[in-house]
Formats: sequence, structure tokens, C-alpha cells
Amino acid sequence: MSVDSAELDQGRQVGRSRRKLADRDDLLARLFLLPTAVYIIGLVAFPFFLAILFSFSDVTTGNPSLDLVGLRQWRTILSSSIFWTSLWNTMIFTGISMVLIVLISHVLASVLVKDFKGKWFVRFCVLLPWTTPVALAAVSWLWLLNSIFSPIDWVLRWFGLIQENSYYLGRPVLAMGSIIAIHVWRIVPLATVIIMAGMMAIPSEINDAAEVDGAGFWRKLREINIPLTLPITAVAVLFGAILTFADMTVVFILTRGGPTQSTQVLASWAFFKGIEGGDLAQGAAVALFLFPLLLAAAIAILRMVRRREVM
Amino acid sequence: MTPRIGRYPLSRRRFIQGVSIAALAAACGRGGNGGQAEPQTPSGAAPSPVFSEPATQLSGDLRLLMWSHFVPVHDEWFDDFATEWGEQVGVNVTVDHIDVTGIPARISSEISAGEGHDLIQFIATLSQFEPSVQSMNDLMDEATSRFGDQLELCQKSTFNPTTENFYAYAPAWSPDPGDYRKSLWEQVDLPDGPSTWDELLEGGAKIFSEQDVQMGLGLSQEIDSNMYARALIWSYGGAVQDENEAVTLMSDDTIAAVEYAKELFDAAMTQEVFAWNPASNNEGLISGELSYILNSISAWRTAQESIPDIAKDIYFVTALEGPKAKMAAQHVMYNWIAPKHSTNFDAAQEFMLHYTANLANVAYQSKMYDFPGFPDQVPQLDGWLDEDPFVIEGDDATKLQPLKTALDWSTNLGHPGPANPAIGEINGTFVLPNMLARVARGRQDAEQSVEQAHQECEEIFTKWRNEGLVGGA
Repeated sequence: MSVDSAELDQGRQVGRSRRKLADRDDLLARLFLLPTAVYIIGLVAFPFFLAILFSFSDVTTGNPSLDLVGLRQWRTILSSSIFWTSLWNTMIFTGISMVLIVLISHVLASVLVKDFKGKWFVRFCVLLPWTTPVALAAVSWLWLLNSIFSPIDWVLRWFGLIQENSYYLGRPVLAMGSIIAIHVWRIVPLATVIIMAGMMAIPSEINDAAEVDGAGFWRKLREINIPLTLPITAVAVLFGAILTFADMTVVFILTRGGPTQSTQVLASWAFFKGIEGGDLAQGAAVALFLFPLLLAAAIAILRMVRRREVM
Repeated sequence: MTPRIGRYPLSRRRFIQGVSIAALAAACGRGGNGGQAEPQTPSGAAPSPVFSEPATQLSGDLRLLMWSHFVPVHDEWFDDFATEWGEQVGVNVTVDHIDVTGIPARISSEISAGEGHDLIQFIATLSQFEPSVQSMNDLMDEATSRFGDQLELCQKSTFNPTTENFYAYAPAWSPDPGDYRKSLWEQVDLPDGPSTWDELLEGGAKIFSEQDVQMGLGLSQEIDSNMYARALIWSYGGAVQDENEAVTLMSDDTIAAVEYAKELFDAAMTQEVFAWNPASNNEGLISGELSYILNSISAWRTAQESIPDIAKDIYFVTALEGPKAKMAAQHVMYNWIAPKHSTNFDAAQEFMLHYTANLANVAYQSKMYDFPGFPDQVPQLDGWLDEDPFVIEGDDATKLQPLKTALDWSTNLGHPGPANPAIGEINGTFVLPNMLARVARGRQDAEQSVEQAHQECEEIFTKWRNEGLVGGA
């Protein structure tokens, strides 16, 4: 065997072993997933388990060394009236926001899947709130709802609808309404895009056949569009609920939990307690409190989506 | 139809003016670069800087973190002051300014990470960080020997009697006077403003009913609302704790103070005060919509540059006399800490000594916002307060005179005890403003609300006692 053919054989062997490596789907899959796994472990799992550890300790912002104290922090937060107020507010805030988000985004998605002049511009406008950084948006809303110089009040006075300032953020019901409205304004674009994708995936033949059979708008909505977009709507609800539940920026910038804790939510109370008050352990316990409920809700929604897909 | 705010018609021009004012005031209140007009030219010369040779040879980096000052020109001066000192002593100094509300979170994250700035300043108590910061005992000894006695309110803001440790160093502070609109108070026969809480109620109610201008004492979760609650409670004889750090909030005196707060709210304020942020009362005063606020002089300094006519109408009064005392908390206490991760503590201490030696410049460059914690260092202060070097044309140069007595009516957070971590948490979670607000909103009567707040304070104190950082029982 000549030298050239030996080199050729060696080259073929190397190529075969490379091909083997490239052909091993299981190995490649693990390799490609590695960066994501590192990211999730480092930036999600580690802080999460650290927070669980904190909630069973006496750690403070000034003293990171921790001693385990069992359920003491949990007992303390459960005996706090502010905690229960925050929990109730979080439920109200998330629940009402989600109902409004689903309704509005369904309506918007139904409009945006139709063909009309200027559709792209309307889509751009609908998406705009989602592209604005939340802190910047909250500061803008703070000015819109200013107790003295609110442009909204100015317009309402102009039309003679109000005589004096509304003090949106100084009255509990209006303050909670304002917080909910801003969240709905923020999350609706995301939900709309998700639901729109679901609507566009419905084969046009189904609607055509329904029309031939004489189905009107409401019947098509009730018997075709809603059932077929239910899985994707559930995903939108899941995303929206988590984003709403975990957000403290809007509350922190607009009301700081006031008036008298009436807009305090678990996320903002965890910040006040853990960072401003220095009690990191109690802050962690407050922040973690609804994790089991959220997890159960997420599992239920995802299972429902999976069942629908299988059917 | 022209919309109205109060009794005054709100034209489009006035609305836009108002929004501009509010933006300026917010920038001021948050320490942003609020000044739009040219800064005033001071009538007197700034004090000459003082330089004293460090005791040891210094080198390396010194990283400072501090708030963005409510008087923005102070920061321009400070940054040059710090870097020039660094060049003289061979230290590379860098200064980072951030919004004051972000500093506690930043300190927490740096301490958790075990790295970050060498020297950090905050305007409220940092007692909760004691386990993770260097002791300032040696620095205090040296500063006292060089500069004379430090004010008691500064010491009580930085010293933990339980551990006998200066966990922070407070070379400067700011008083918290009442800011009032003279033209409004003249019409209720109080041209020099209110001097007692009773006069505040009587005059404020009349101004609201006759001139349709409300008062601006916050009942919200922010710093100025905290200061109002404390001043009022002390003036009625109540306190969160006693000298020995035992909780004493539940008392007839505190209940009387809370009842007064409801009466004042009903008579002279609107619901806007329940959701204010730290800039809100500044905005209201500068825009001419408030008759009286409790604040430092920063709102007035901002108005000097943006709306001189309003600035000329703003005057100051001392803390208000109550049934038992005449007292207010300091508005700002400059607490400096050196975290244990600080790699250049020697330079940090030397810089603090240099800063203290130049407190006259600090007061001057902050336009009399900052007061010295070592009063012997600024003998010029009374002269500046008698005749404001930064007076604008047509304004009264003597209007800062009430601040000359600030030491007589100012005290530390936690008075009559120290500003311990429990007081810090009570401050940070706004227990006292919420106690007043619950009653003002009619959700509880005064006794119930004080009882609830007392319980909250007890829980917080117990927790910090378990940490070994608070005394009492």
C-alpha cells in the first residue's frame, strides 16, 4: 500500500468518526441544550433555590451569613395583616387583569386577522406598549395620573365631566383600577399576537363550510373560533398571569403600595420587606408564597393544552 | 368651558406650565439635573479648600457610591473635590451617583456579592448593615480630636449602643423645616407662617376653605410622610421607642397625635397625599398648589431657577410647637459606610477626614442644604443663613434665618433612642405614615391604628433583638 492510500484511509476513518459524532442525535441534542441548561440553572434555578433557603433562615441584607430557623419566617408573614392584604390584592389584580386581557386581546386578534387598509399600521400601534420598557411606561403613566396636572383630568374637565381632580392614585378603588389598566395596556399586545397566531392557524375551510351551513358570526365564534383557539388562549393566559403576578414595577412607581396598602401586592411587599426593610428572609418567604399555586395552575393549563392538541 | 384647578381657571398655557414645573420639581426631588436656568451667582466667595496630609502613604483605587444630590450643582463640585484629593494623595478616586431610592438595594447586592464600592453614602439610617461593614470607631476618635465634638443627632444616627460600635460616619445632615407660601398665610393673619400645630390646623383650614389651596403633608409610603409622622408624634409627646430601645408607641400621646392628623387632613388636605412620592410635595409647592409642606430647602432652590416669583413667596418656619415638644427629624442624615469588602479602607477613612475638614465647602456648594455634623468646622454658617449668598434678585436674603436654630428642634430617627435597625425597618416599611393614613381615611379609629402599628413595631424590634443589634426588652 502506497503512502498516499494509507493517508487516504486514515482520512476516511477520521471522516467516519466525525460523521458518527454528527449522526448521534442524542449527543448533539444534549450539546445544543447545554447553553440553555447552564443559563436556566445559573440564572433561574440557583436564585430560586437560594430564595427557598433564605425563607427558612434569618438572613438580612446586612448579614448574608445565614442560620436556619425552620418555619419562623413563614409563621411571621402568615400572622401579618399586610401580607394577607397583599395576597388579596394580588389575586384581585391578577384575576381582573387576566379577564380583561383575554377579552380585549380576542377582540383585537379578531380584527387584526381580517384584511383591511392600514392593517400593518394598526398592528404596529397595538404592539407598541409591549415594546416600551415597563419602568419608562410606568413613569409616563405616573404623569398621566398626576394628582395636580393629570392630562386625563384636564380632558375630562374640558368636557365638563368632572369638576375637581380625580386623584387617581390617592383613592383605593381608582388606584387599583389604574394599576390594573396599565397592566392590561402592557400585556394585551403579547396576548393579541399569541391569539392571532392561533386564529390564523384555523383552516379557512372550516369557516367556509360553517358559512355554507348558515352559521352566523356568533355561532362561528362560539363553536369554531373559541374552541379551536382555546389551547393558545390558555398559553396567553399563562404568560399573562405570570407576568402580572410577578411584576412589582408598576405598583412601586405609581403608588408604592398605597393608599394604606390598598395596592400592595406580594411582589412589591417582598421588595419593601426584604430590601427597604432589610429582612431578606421574610422578603423571600413573601415572594415564594404563591409559587406552589402558580406551579399548579401552570401544570393544569399545560396539561389541558396538551390534551386538546392530542384530540 | 375652561377647566379649573381649585378656584383658578386652568388654561392650556397654565397646564403646560404646570407640567413643566412638575417635571422640574421631580428632577429636583429625585436628585436629577433639575436646574434649567442659569445658576445664581453667589454674592460671597466660596471657602478655600483645606488639605491635610494623610497619616499613611495611600495608593490604589477608592470607589465611592452616593446619591444624586437634591441640589445638583453640589455633585459637580463634589466629583472634582474627590478626584483632586485623589490626585494629591496618589489614589484613583471614582464617584458614582445614583437615584437615592436605589441605594439600599445596591448596598444589599454589593454586600451579598462581597465586592463593589469602598465607601457608600445614604441619607437614612444604615444600621441594618452593621454586621457587614467596617467599624468607624477609629475614624470617629480621629475626627473628634481634629474637628471637635460631633452633634448628638449625628452620633445617634451612626452608633449602636448595644454593640458599642460606630457602624457609619455622619459628617453632615440637613434640617427639615416647614416651607410655606407667605402670600397665602398673610391672608389668615399669620404672615410669619404657623409656629404651632394648632396654628397650622387653623390657618391651613382657612386657606383651604377661603383660598382653595390645600396643604401638603404626605400620608403615603415615602420619606417626607415618614418625617411628618415622626415630627407630629414627638411634638405630642409620643415616640416609637424610649432611650433604652423599648417600644413605646402605644400611648395617649400618640393617639392624640393621630387624631390631630385626621383633623388636619379633613380640614386642609385632599386625597392626593395618600399616594405621593418624595417629589410630590415639591411639585405642589413649586406649582403654587400647596400652602405648606415639610421639606428641606431644595424645593425652594429649584423654584429660584425655574419660577422665581414662586420662590420669592416661599418662606420657612422652624419645627412646630406641639402640646409637649417642638421637634422634627433631620430631613437627611449623610451616613457613610465602608463595607467589609472594601479594599482601601485606609483611603476611605482619610477621604472622610478630608471631607470633614471641608464641611464649610460642603455647606456652601450645596447652597446651605447640607449642615455640618461638626459645627466648629463651619463658623460661617450663621452668616450665610443671615444673608443667603445665593439670593436671587428681588428675594429676601434673610429667609433662611429660622434654620439658625435648627439644632434646637432637630433630632435623629429613633429619638429618644438610637437609629437602630428596627427603626430603619419601621422607616423602610412606612409603619408610621400608614398608621396616620388608616385613621385619616376612616378605616380605623386612632386607638386601633396605634395598637396595630405598635404591634408591628414590637415584631420588628423582637426580630432585630434576636439578631443582637437592638437592646431593650
